[in-house]
Amino acid sequence: MLVIGERINGMFKDIANAIKTGDPTAVQEWAKRQEDNGAAWLDINCGPASDDPVSHMKWLVEVTQEVAKAPLALDSTNYDAIEAGLEICKQPPLINSVPAEWPKMERVFEMAAKYEAGVVGLAMNEQGIPKDAESRVALAMELCAAADSYGVPMEDLYIDPLVLPCNVGQDHGPEALETIRQVKTLADPPPRTTVGLSNISQGTKNRELINRTFAVMGIAMGLDTAVADADDDELMEAIACARIIMNLDIYCDSFVEVYKDRW
Amino acid sequence: MGLTGLQIFKLLPKTNCGECDLPTCMAFAMALAQGKTSLDMCPYVSDEAKEQLESAAAPPIKKVTVGTGEFTRAIGDETEIFRHDKRFFNETILAIEVKDTDDVDAKCENFNDLKFERIGMEFVVDAVAVVNDSGDADKFKSAVETAVNKTERCLVLMSEDVDAMAKALEVAADRKPLIYAATNDNYEKMVELAKEKGCPLAVRGNGLMDTAELVDKVVAAGHKDLVIDPGSREMSQTLADLSQIRRAALRRVRTFGYPSMAVTTKEDPMEENSEATVYMSNYAQLIVMKTDEKAALVPLVSWRLNLYTDPQKPIAVEPGLYEVGEVNPDSPVYVTTNFSLTYFIVEGEVEGSKIPSYIISVDTDGISVLTAWADNKFSGDIIAKYIKDLGLEEKVNHKKIVIPGGVAVISGKLEDESGWEVIVGPREASGIPKFAREKFGK
Amino acid sequence: MAFNIVKEKYRNKISQVTIGATKEEGGTRTSTVTIGGEEALPYLHFEGNIPNRPVTALEVWDIAPPGWNECFNQYYGDVYNDVGEWARKCVEEYGAEMICLRLKGADPDEDNRSADECEAALKKVLDSVGVPIIVLGCGKFEKDNEIFMKVAESGAGENLLMGVAEQENYKTLTAAALGYKHAIIAQSPIDINIAKQLNIMIGEMNFDTDRIVMDPTIAAVGYGIEYGYSIMQRARFGALGGDKAMAKPMIGNIGWEVWKTKEANAPVSDFPEWGEQEPRGINWEIVTATSLLCAGLNIAVLRHPSSLAVVKKTIDDLMKPNSY
Repeated sequence: MLVIGERINGMFKDIANAIKTGDPTAVQEWAKRQEDNGAAWLDINCGPASDDPVSHMKWLVEVTQEVAKAPLALDSTNYDAIEAGLEICKQPPLINSVPAEWPKMERVFEMAAKYEAGVVGLAMNEQGIPKDAESRVALAMELCAAADSYGVPMEDLYIDPLVLPCNVGQDHGPEALETIRQVKTLADPPPRTTVGLSNISQGTKNRELINRTFAVMGIAMGLDTAVADADDDELMEAIACARIIMNLDIYCDSFVEVYKDRW
Repeated sequence: MGLTGLQIFKLLPKTNCGECDLPTCMAFAMALAQGKTSLDMCPYVSDEAKEQLESAAAPPIKKVTVGTGEFTRAIGDETEIFRHDKRFFNETILAIEVKDTDDVDAKCENFNDLKFERIGMEFVVDAVAVVNDSGDADKFKSAVETAVNKTERCLVLMSEDVDAMAKALEVAADRKPLIYAATNDNYEKMVELAKEKGCPLAVRGNGLMDTAELVDKVVAAGHKDLVIDPGSREMSQTLADLSQIRRAALRRVRTFGYPSMAVTTKEDPMEENSEATVYMSNYAQLIVMKTDEKAALVPLVSWRLNLYTDPQKPIAVEPGLYEVGEVNPDSPVYVTTNFSLTYFIVEGEVEGSKIPSYIISVDTDGISVLTAWADNKFSGDIIAKYIKDLGLEEKVNHKKIVIPGGVAVISGKLEDESGWEVIVGPREASGIPKFAREKFGK
Repeated sequence: MAFNIVKEKYRNKISQVTIGATKEEGGTRTSTVTIGGEEALPYLHFEGNIPNRPVTALEVWDIAPPGWNECFNQYYGDVYNDVGEWARKCVEEYGAEMICLRLKGADPDEDNRSADECEAALKKVLDSVGVPIIVLGCGKFEKDNEIFMKVAESGAGENLLMGVAEQENYKTLTAAALGYKHAIIAQSPIDINIAKQLNIMIGEMNFDTDRIVMDPTIAAVGYGIEYGYSIMQRARFGALGGDKAMAKPMIGNIGWEVWKTKEANAPVSDFPEWGEQEPRGINWEIVTATSLLCAGLNIAVLRHPSSLAVVKKTIDDLMKPNSY
């Protein structure tokens, strides 16, 4: 599993403040810090309070790219903001995200094909998040078929089974994991998978332990990526270890350092 | 693995009629991929789609058989890009060219001699490829007839002239030769011949795209025992084409779901050997080449053996008593396992010691020293019994034996059981030369 | 049917290593070689850039090599005792693109030569030929550590490729190569995990890991070549997929391994069904080298001039473009 660093998000005060004042220091510090600790992508999200997501997205992309080598994940429900970001990305980013709904899929997959970007596809639709794995997989299949029809290769589609906090949606946990497993059988080559990792521990005690436990369970099921806290060393170590056990990386004694030394 | 939901979905009519008892074609595709429904539940699926879906149960690369009797060879049925992911199964057929303008009799005589023993195994070069170099149908037929009479191994008949092929098949069809080749110009008749005689057929296009179209035409004409020659005659492009064919086949592109082949172009035997090595390393399942020199073919066949071994399974050398250098009754005796890597490393180091020696390779089912010891396959009593079975006492005039340092613990038992003096050698084979000089040097 | 070419996308490329330095670059070489830089699996040019061709080297020793097959006498017999002339012959007559100098004379079991004598041997080779030089120790840790620093110093500015660093003995050589700006060979004993770890350990000494050439230890055909072959394939595939620690060019001592075997050396009278000895040995070298090229080998160190000639031609062919 590779980590999409979650920290450049207007939900965090320092980032919100940076957007407000136009001072990129905090953004750039987090970009470098996440990269140094092994983030493979950097998530870029203006946050819910942004009154001008298009220009804020552009600004965040610009200032992040000034210091970071990692590709970005443009995180917004505002597709104009995403397109504004796509236009200036130096390397193909991820579009985060699209649900299994028309016409949203049309807009997003067209953009993805045009910019050769990856897409995070959410296993939900107008009716919300299904409870069981079977319905989630059916939505994943719709995302696969839609991506395929727009010429987006399966390797560029990242299915998110959608994770709920384990203190309120405990019954969703096994369903989300089973969805990850089944998604890998939908196509050959299979689509990739992703989750918003910290959702599993929203409002719980001992959040880091829950996050990294879910991460390694997900990796065993075929979880390829997660939006997560790259600054959490124990999480990164657990992921590095799970990758070795799943034979995803070639073992060496310094496997943790190798996992983090990405850029 | 069968087709995935997405692959099936693309073949369905997408009408969402619901007559299959599922709400959408997509749901039907997923159910079908999981084996929860059957294709005949869909009344509107096209024949073409039906055939593609049904053939998905077949292996990704068809198994094709050439020849008859003892020398029957099967190729295809492969499942991997890399041997380390599982293994390669069916060794490349090596076919040696004999032109109908050559002295066919003498060439076949020489071909029959292409068998050799190495590491306790017998190897034979698989096939004669008779080439219609003369352009004359009768001459071709007579050359093929000579080959049929001279050798029992596989045959490849190489002519694009349908009449010449028909004549040759009169004398050779019951040997199940590979017919080479159906081309854009002759495929209709070649397919008829191959079907009628029940022989495998090579399909040769001009480059990969053209070959894909030609294979589809041949399959549509009703023959499926195929070997694909993409027709490129440049090494680099051939390597790329062979890779594409393998990748496509494993991705269930049915057009390329057959074994592939290559024909060498180099005239110099050593360059040709190198060229053949490139194709063998890159998925060619049959190679037609010109050289019939043993010096070239022995290493090539050895590489084939290595490439097609099962990486999960340790390869073993024949257990037994090996001589390194000009041994005499004073020569030291080393014991090791029959795991080939262990054995060869020990052999190399013993050789490096420049003291002629015996090596006993104990049958440990091809596992290494410590693993074998832990598994009780390299114990004092087993080695003692083996020393006796080998009649070592009659070969040397001393009763001393060197064991690997890692299993020093077996010394006592081995001495008790065998009556031989046990010398504990170095832990690593690399220590052997120094050890040998100190112990056995003059 | 409509057939889509399958092109893989890779995240990473192999590091590019230059060996040798011309006058302008502070050395005395008349040519340099650059290897690595691949962005695709071996020779799949259609899928990614393969900027540099693999190179060939011939092996010379600082002493007349005891035990080399007699068939080599006709090529090297007159120069066995003069390593400079030997190297010159390899380059000028036989077309070697690099010279691999093996300081076997330093081996306490051979002539136990001193560091000064090793330095002299290197100087002779540097003076006689203009191609880049690979220098290997004698293989005995203690002795190699006595000579590495001196050798590195006397080759200062020449951008040598020095070997070999092993897991149990890498610090002296790494320090020497670091001090005098040479590239380094990291050798692992047919073990992909050690191969990777060794690269990291060398890097931890502040050595630029993009100056490492990996030697996964290969065997000859028929002697377990498939282990090294698969390690090379795994390393290369992992490297292209993003494993930076494995993304190094690779070298193989093919002549050394092949000419140890019975199959290369045994007279035809011993094994009539194996064919004539010399062409058999050459073919053994050719098949070993070619198969490893197909797994990603970047430097083939050979022994027989005919093997070299054939392998060079094969490399020419493999480097021709392929496309769709």
